[in-house]
Amino acid sequence: MINEYKSYLEPKFVYLPLTDPTYKIANVKVEEGDAVLVGTVLGYKYKGQIKLPVISSVSGTVKGFEELQDRFGKTVDHCVIENNMEDNQIELKAFENASTSQVRARLLELGLEQINVDGIFTPLKFDRPIKHVVVNASFTNEPFLKTDYLFVNEYAEHIAQGIELLKVAANAETVTVIADKDMEPFAFNSLGEAIVDKDMRLETVKLQKVNGSDVKVISKLIKKPVSPDLLSDGVLYVKVDTAKIVYDAVVLGKVSNSRQVAITGDGIKENVIYEVVVGTKLSEIVSDLGGYNEVDEMVLHYGSFTTGNQLTTDETSITLNVDTINFQEYIELEEDVCTKCGECNDVCPVGILPQNIMDAEMRNVNERIVDLDTGACIECGLCTYTCPSNINVLEWVRRAKRRVG
Amino acid sequence: MKFVTKKPPIVTNGEHTYKRSLNLHIALIIAALAAVILNGFYTYPDVTLFTSGLEQSFKVFSMIAIASVISVVIELFYALSEGNTSKFSSYKGFVDPINTGILIALLLPINAPIFVLALAVFVGVYIGKIVFGGYGFYIFNPALVGALFAFSAFGAGHLASDIVTPLETLKLAITTNTTFELQSVLPLIIGNYQSISIGSTSVAVLGLLFAYLCVTKVIDLRISGTYLLTVLVMSLGIGFIIFGFGEMALGYVLINIVTGLAVFGAVFFISETVSTPTSRETKLIYAVTVAILMMVFRTLSSNVEGLIYAVLFGNMITPFLNRTVKHSNKKALLKTLVGITIAVVGVTFIIGFMLKGQIEESSINAIVVTLGGIL
Ligand code: SF4
Ligand code: SF4
Repeated sequence: MINEYKSYLEPKFVYLPLTDPTYKIANVKVEEGDAVLVGTVLGYKYKGQIKLPVISSVSGTVKGFEELQDRFGKTVDHCVIENNMEDNQIELKAFENASTSQVRARLLELGLEQINVDGIFTPLKFDRPIKHVVVNASFTNEPFLKTDYLFVNEYAEHIAQGIELLKVAANAETVTVIADKDMEPFAFNSLGEAIVDKDMRLETVKLQKVNGSDVKVISKLIKKPVSPDLLSDGVLYVKVDTAKIVYDAVVLGKVSNSRQVAITGDGIKENVIYEVVVGTKLSEIVSDLGGYNEVDEMVLHYGSFTTGNQLTTDETSITLNVDTINFQEYIELEEDVCTKCGECNDVCPVGILPQNIMDAEMRNVNERIVDLDTGACIECGLCTYTCPSNINVLEWVRRAKRRVG
Repeated sequence: MKFVTKKPPIVTNGEHTYKRSLNLHIALIIAALAAVILNGFYTYPDVTLFTSGLEQSFKVFSMIAIASVISVVIELFYALSEGNTSKFSSYKGFVDPINTGILIALLLPINAPIFVLALAVFVGVYIGKIVFGGYGFYIFNPALVGALFAFSAFGAGHLASDIVTPLETLKLAITTNTTFELQSVLPLIIGNYQSISIGSTSVAVLGLLFAYLCVTKVIDLRISGTYLLTVLVMSLGIGFIIFGFGEMALGYVLINIVTGLAVFGAVFFISETVSTPTSRETKLIYAVTVAILMMVFRTLSSNVEGLIYAVLFGNMITPFLNRTVKHSNKKALLKTLVGITIAVVGVTFIIGFMLKGQIEESSINAIVVTLGGIL
């Protein structure tokens, strides 16, 4: 567990990506020299007819546009804003008892849809009927990182109210909060107290074991294996920090312009949980931390270990959908041959057989790949995590998926 | 410093294949040592080759040592011919070849000539392993391929002609419809009785190794446990059908489990990962198939010990199982459990009543057909 907390809340410039892999076309609404506030719409990003706003995370002046690598490793245009450190925000109405349409409108207004891009967490999207809201009470889901319990403890009441708002937005029937059995008692109690009088179910699982226990909870809820797109199963699955952001946006009328990011790994001097302003350049945070350790080759991993991306530069901005960044010295992991131990098959939470899929992919038999229901893989990465031969099983499954497309 | 994207810094659960091979290696060395020591105490009354226990121990030791060396040499030669010997730059490269060598030695009888042993190792390592692409790729368990070759080419009768095992006595008693004398239990447990394979006698030692390998996850309990349980249930059923309730039936169970290769197989062959299926349900089917076949061979064929054939048959159907299975979920598990239970109970009854003479020999064909259907 990281016990070190730091903040970096006064970046001189912020860099805000104008597109993402889903919303690929940008329509910019500001020009160089324009004054902006926290929450000012800088432009819209489009996917066909659907658009999402890109909003400013600081108040200040638009400095121009710059190409930078985004968190997905793509080079895209970023809007650069010089921070005047005044933190002036646009007027936002605060809602006491928001209705479904009010919550949805607010989330849309602040461009919060793509807040979860890691793992099987779902975007905040309400275009299909949602029956269940599921909230994971661990701040990050990395195997070796424990939940940030201080965060849960401090904001338990806000989190609980945020979850309720999500239920309202989704018109959902049930709410389930998944908590780790090994959660520190103080955080567990706070969370319990906050949700006890609300209509929510608390499921405790052993998240530390990394065996897809959250997926199993959801499978039980929907009474079938989960599909790669949870929204189509009628499930909205988010983390507690999302609930807090929703609370801030709706009840406080506050634009979420900062977030907590766990920065870890042996490549940097210190492992900390950072509170940073959205749009801050990663390289600034690294300097703030005292720089890198002496290594030849570094792997910079953005987001969850199994589903995140590796970047080739730290000249990249921290967006609202990043909660873990890892710097690790590149060490060649020797890959052994597959001993057919079947542990990847045992661990797969959707009940497909990654080893057999890998075998079929190696033998190039499309029919078998389809037969094995490869498309059902939710890319949780547990197969790779368990493999004693260090084989990146998920990568084979992905290849197989692409092959039969 | 530069950023690379070669491979994500995958966090794994810390299990490593090599650690497992090493644990198996340790277990095999212990089993080998036990064989050397215990063979010093056994008496082979009809084997005239040896005059003292020490000689017996030395023979066992040399068999194990020679088999290991030959196995390593073959793999080394092959690596040389391929121009890639980097594997042998650390001990890691030697572990698997030595393991195969030890296993083949432990399977053979004490009076096996060294040239037979050498041939068995050659066949096991070269034809059983290297031809298929080496460790991780073979279909049949290489050690069993080697042992099978030795037994079939030189004849179990010829190789171990003078050794009379408890299973043999038992079989003779049943086929000639005489009673058999149950030896006292203790020697069976420690391993002080005549057996064909030099390494398989002491269930006390094998039991400890079984526990060790289970804890270190080398053995998949779902395979080895299911297999042992099936052998137990079947021999119990068959024993009761033939002898009725009583000491004889228990003796039947005891001899079937404790002597022969039943436990040795459970420790070293049944859950050998490369040649066994990869998913939960197929593992169970495999384990039960091997157990049933072993019992069928032991009881109905001219063989006394059926494990080698049974496991090799299991290996043979493994690719088929691996390439037909689709899912691993509760429904599949339930179906599998029901299927294997029916198969075990059915075959037990059939064998039991056949041995008791209540089923005509002529109906064997019908039974074989049914058996095929169930499997
Ligand atoms: S195949 Fe691997 S990544 Fe896909 S769902 Fe199964 S365990 Fe997860
Ligand atoms: S866990 Fe790794 S070694 Fe085991 S079967 Fe799966 S891919 Fe092969």
